Amino acid sequence: MNEPLTLLVVDDDITNRMVLRALLKADGYQVFEAENGQQAVDTVSKKQIDIILMDVMMPVLDGYQAAQIIKSEIEYFIPIIFLTAITDEALLAKCLASGGDDVLTKPYSHVLLRAKIDSMNRIRILNRKIEQQNNELNKHNTRIQQEINVAKKVFANILNHDMRGSKSGLRYSMSPMSVFNGDVIFSDVNQSNGLDVLISDFTGHGLSAAISSIPMADIFYAMTRKGFSFKETLTEANNKLVKMLPTQMFMSAAFISVDRLNNVLSVVNAGLPDLYLIRDGEIIKTFKSKNLPLGIISVTADTFEMDMASLHYGDRLLAATDGIMEAENADGEFYGVARIIDSINSAENADSLFNKVLNDCMAFTHNAQQSDDITLIELHHKKDIDYENKNDVAVVNTPSNWSMQFSLDVDSLRKFDILPYIMQGVNGLQSIPNGRSTVQTILAEIFSNSLDHGVLSLDSSLKNDAGGYLQFYQQKTERLNSVEEGNIQITLSHEQRGDGGVLTIHVVDSGDGFDYTAMNESLESNTGLHGRGLPLIKTLCQDVCYMGKGNVVVATYAWGSEAISADS
Amino acid sequence: MSITANINDEKNALVITVPGRFDFSKHNEFRKAYKDKQIESGVYEIDLHSTEYLDSSALGMMLLLKEVADSNSSVVKITHANDELREILRIASFEKLFVIE
Repeated sequence: MNEPLTLLVVDDDITNRMVLRALLKADGYQVFEAENGQQAVDTVSKKQIDIILMDVMMPVLDGYQAAQIIKSEIEYFIPIIFLTAITDEALLAKCLASGGDDVLTKPYSHVLLRAKIDSMNRIRILNRKIEQQNNELNKHNTRIQQEINVAKKVFANILNHDMRGSKSGLRYSMSPMSVFNGDVIFSDVNQSNGLDVLISDFTGHGLSAAISSIPMADIFYAMTRKGFSFKETLTEANNKLVKMLPTQMFMSAAFISVDRLNNVLSVVNAGLPDLYLIRDGEIIKTFKSKNLPLGIISVTADTFEMDMASLHYGDRLLAATDGIMEAENADGEFYGVARIIDSINSAENADSLFNKVLNDCMAFTHNAQQSDDITLIELHHKKDIDYENKNDVAVVNTPSNWSMQFSLDVDSLRKFDILPYIMQGVNGLQSIPNGRSTVQTILAEIFSNSLDHGVLSLDSSLKNDAGGYLQFYQQKTERLNSVEEGNIQITLSHEQRGDGGVLTIHVVDSGDGFDYTAMNESLESNTGLHGRGLPLIKTLCQDVCYMGKGNVVVATYAWGSEAISADS
Repeated sequence: MSITANINDEKNALVITVPGRFDFSKHNEFRKAYKDKQIESGVYEIDLHSTEYLDSSALGMMLLLKEVADSNSSVVKITHANDELREILRIASFEKLFVIE
C-alpha cells in the first residue's frame, strides 16, 4: 500500500536523464526531472520529493549551490546523492560539504545505485520519524508550559492569598517555582490578634508536591479560624497527610504563633531548618527541629514538641525552607547555615535584615543554575499592626433568643479543647457582625482564667516576667495531667434587643476563687505581663462581674444597636 | 560511581552504599539495590561513608526502605554519616524512626 518513492533526477544532459528515468521507473519509483540546479530548487519547493539524484556541473545553478539551497530551505530531510564524473577527491568532498549525503562516480553500477537509494531511504524514514516525534514533543512542551503558567497562578491564588497586608509584620519571599514545588506559607490572625503562620515544604518537586499542599490550606484556615490550638491543627494536618501521601513523601513545616496578649512566641518545628529569633541585630534564640516532618506516622497532639520565647517589640523571626540552605553556586557549593548566620550578623539594621539575607544568597548563586526553590519569611513583632481582609463573615442577621450550657469534668478538660466547638455552636446559632472574633477572645480569656486559676490553682504572678511565663506554661501542663477533680460550667445565653442583641457568658469553676475587689485596675496602669486578660475582657464587654468567692464570672457582650445605646 | 548492595551473611544484613550525591536521580538505582535482596529479621544498613549530600527525596527513599524492612521484621540502620549529613537527619528527626550509628 506504500506510495511509490518519488525521485528527482537533476542533470543537464538529456541522455543521462532518460537512462536514469528508465532504470528507476523499472524499479517502481516515481521520477521527476530537472535540467539544472535552479529547476531542482523550484521542483523541491512545489512537489513532495523523497530523494534527489544530483549532477554537479550544470548551467544556471550547479549541483553544489543547489544542494546548499535545498538543505537550508527545506525543513524536512531530503537525501541528496551526487552522481558525477569527477574523480578529484577534493571536489568529491565538496559534494558532501555542500550538503550531499552520498556520492557515486560515473560510470556507476546500477546495483550499487539501487543499494544507495535503499540505504538513503532508510535514513530518510528514520529522520522523518524523529522530526514527527520532535514536532509532537514541541507541541506537547508548549502546551505543558502554558498549563504550568496558568496552574502557577491558580496555586498562588489558592495557597498564598492571605498574607494579611503590608502592616501585618509578615514579610515573605517565594521564588515563582517554589510555589509549584510545594512550598507554602499560610497565615491567619489568631485570638490574640497576633499571627499564626505555617511555612512548609514538601519532599519532591512538581505537581504531586503542589497538589498535596491544597488540603493543607483547608485544614490550616478552617482550624485556626475556629480557634483550635495549633498542636491540634498540626495533628489534623499530619494525620491527613499520612493517609494521603505515598511513603516517600512528607511535609517539613514550622508552625509559628504570636500571642500578642502575652507577647509570647510559640514554634513547632517539624523538619525545617533552624528558625532564628533576632533582637538588636543578634540571634537570641534558635528554634531547632524537634519533630518528625508531617505525613510520616500518625500522631496525637501531645507528640509535638513546642518551643516558646518571650517577645519584645522590634524582634524579628526568620524562617526558611531548605531551599536557601541548598542553594548552589557555580562551583557546586551549598549556601549553608554559616552564611545565613553571617548575613544576619552583618545586616546594617533590623529593617534591612530580610533583604540582606535574601540578596546575599542570590549573589552567592549568581552564576549558577537558577536556584528556584527559595522561600523565606520574616515575622516582625511590631507595636502597632494592622491587617487587611480580616475574616469577619457578613451574614444576614437573625437575632433570636437562646441559651446553651456545657459542663466539663476534669477528664474532659484534660483531653479536650471545648472552645472551638462552643464557638461553632455560637456561630451556628447567631450571626454577630464583626463580633465573632471578639466573642471568641472573651470566651477564651474567661475560660482560661477559670481553668488556670480556678481548677488548676496556678499563681498568675508567675507570669511577671518572660521566664516565669514559660514556667507557668510548664506548670499548667503538669497540673493538667495530675489534677484529680474539678469542673467548669459554661452557660451562654443570647437575648434579642432591637436589631442587635446581648450575649451573656456565665462561667463557674470548682476552684477557690480569688479576691476580685482588686480587679478594677485599668488597662493603662497594667504594664506587667500578667493580668492582661481581665482588663482586656472589661474593654471588650459591656459588663464583667465576679461573684461568689471569685469562682463565678458573668460577662455581657452587646452588639448591633444595643451596643451603641449601651455605650452612650 | 553507582550504588552497591552487598549481603553480609554473618550479620544477616544488606549493606547499601550510596556514593556521591544521594538525591532524586538515585531513585531507581536505590530501589533496585534492595528489591531482589530480601532480608528476614535482619538489618538493612544504609552506609553513608562515601555519600556527600542528602536531599529530602533521599529521606523519602529511606522511608520506602523502612516500609520494606518493617514488612520483613527487619530494621534499617543508617551508618557512617558525616556531620553535615547527620545534621540533615537530625532536622528531619530521623533518629525517631531509624537506628543511626
